[in-house]
Amino acid sequence: MANQLRTVQLPEDLCVQAESWLKGRFDSLEGLLSFLLAEIVKDDGAKLDQHEEEIVQQRLRDLGYI
Amino acid sequence: MKRRSLILVTVDCLRADHVGFQGYACPVTPFLDSVAKNSVVVSDAVVAGAPTYFSFPAIMASRYPLGLGREILGIAPDELTLATALQEAGFATAAFLAGNPYLSPRFGYDQGFDEFHDFLDSDSSGVTTAPLQRSSPLSGVNRGLEAIARRTRLTATAYDELYFRYCQWISSREDVSLDQLRRYPAADVLIGKACSWLNGLRDQPFFLWIHLMDPHHPYYPPQEALSSLGILNLSAKRARFLNSSWNRGDIGPGRLQRYKAEIISLYDAGVHWADKQLARLVAALQQLQRWDDTAFVVTADHGEEFLEHGDRYHSPTSLPEQLIHVPLLVRAPGLSGGTTLSGPFSLIHLAPTLLEAIGAEVPHSFQGRSHWGQLSAGKLPSEPAIAECAEEGTRTRLMTVRDGNFKLVIRFRDQTDTLYDLKNDPGERSPLSDAVQKNERVQLLQIARRHLRESREGRDASSGVRARLREIRRSLDRRPTQSAALETVEHG
Repeated sequence: MANQLRTVQLPEDLCVQAESWLKGRFDSLEGLLSFLLAEIVKDDGAKLDQHEEEIVQQRLRDLGYI
Repeated sequence: MKRRSLILVTVDCLRADHVGFQGYACPVTPFLDSVAKNSVVVSDAVVAGAPTYFSFPAIMASRYPLGLGREILGIAPDELTLATALQEAGFATAAFLAGNPYLSPRFGYDQGFDEFHDFLDSDSSGVTTAPLQRSSPLSGVNRGLEAIARRTRLTATAYDELYFRYCQWISSREDVSLDQLRRYPAADVLIGKACSWLNGLRDQPFFLWIHLMDPHHPYYPPQEALSSLGILNLSAKRARFLNSSWNRGDIGPGRLQRYKAEIISLYDAGVHWADKQLARLVAALQQLQRWDDTAFVVTADHGEEFLEHGDRYHSPTSLPEQLIHVPLLVRAPGLSGGTTLSGPFSLIHLAPTLLEAIGAEVPHSFQGRSHWGQLSAGKLPSEPAIAECAEEGTRTRLMTVRDGNFKLVIRFRDQTDTLYDLKNDPGERSPLSDAVQKNERVQLLQIARRHLRESREGRDASSGVRARLREIRRSLDRRPTQSAALETVEHG
């Protein structure tokens, strides 16, 4: 699925500002946005919290309290 | 009525059982012991996380350390804190922090301060770092020897021992002082700057945060502190040898034990120096006639281990009492002094309690609640305290739930929970089996479950993203290539 692409719409002036900033750092605006989004979704804290809650719930079940 | 001011002193690595006002027999804190006579001492204060980077989100922003995600350390941009609340309320605010990189603007700790000094540059800290040794032809020979020695365990051990002794011999030829060896600015430097700032204030209420690193390793207290404690035979060279030996990763706790007593003497002298300098600070406040209307609070971000469980320093590989139990002294106008309150008190409640103490509004985002009423009444509610951190590598949570008598440690990495009876086993040596104290275990597990649910449901996604973006932006600005930036974010 990695090669399936989606089109998003962004304000033109913001894109121009970002393109000016990304010079030397990223090849394109798409590269910058993909990098940022990948970094942001990498933090799976909520999923880990849920998994850890399930572990405690299972422990309580094993002890006969749920 | 004159508005109250607030001084929050946090001492890095200060254990609850190494201050006189909490029972330490060695007279390292005579000044704070005297202040304690007019203060409330909370004998069972527990940090919400350890080490520094997992502790301070609770102290400054009343938020559990993993509340924004596992990748985020520090305060999120725009997150409300003790400092932002008081700045907003018209207080003059200043922070003087003794060079702990985790308490820098990079991690958002400058937010809310008119003046922020983290002493991370050598010009302001007065710390002179010794120049790096140049590579010599012997370095090549050493590398070759090491490669050969690493082929078997026996020769590797022999190499490590000989190399350590060689390094000690080389360094023993150098004439150094404790002041030259110290890595962090000592308390006298910070208190001096803080006093200058206080002198420049008029009648404005103020919030002053001082973070001292004197008891932090490597342990190099001022000579004057050692002398003041009657320790006259511990030279700078000996201190360097002790610190080097204590830091060795190639020897076990059995051999390290021989250095423990002297290492603790150095640590205690660091605590003593902090105590002496706090006396200077209070004298300055008295001279300025600001002491009577100022709340003065002393606590720590975590404790320190001295091999009690085989570990040194304060890495979050476990959360024993030596790490999570910290001193807490609150001296405030209107608070009857000389009281010691028992029962767990989480530092998640400290910021809201202090805001109420000085009559300021508590931000809604704070996860803790003010206990000012209970402190004033001389009775803390019976409420378990939670401490947590993310384990390195797996980023899984390690947490403890601690009530007055029992402590449950849950290690999610291997899905285990261990219950201790702190009343009968304060050293946490004998975990209780499932069959024993089952009700206590279940009760603490239920509190853990509720905490995890609240952590997930109460997550402020936008703050988390802002904090993450700050870190990404910083790494991109520093290293202008994408791969390097990724590397920095992942390992930074």
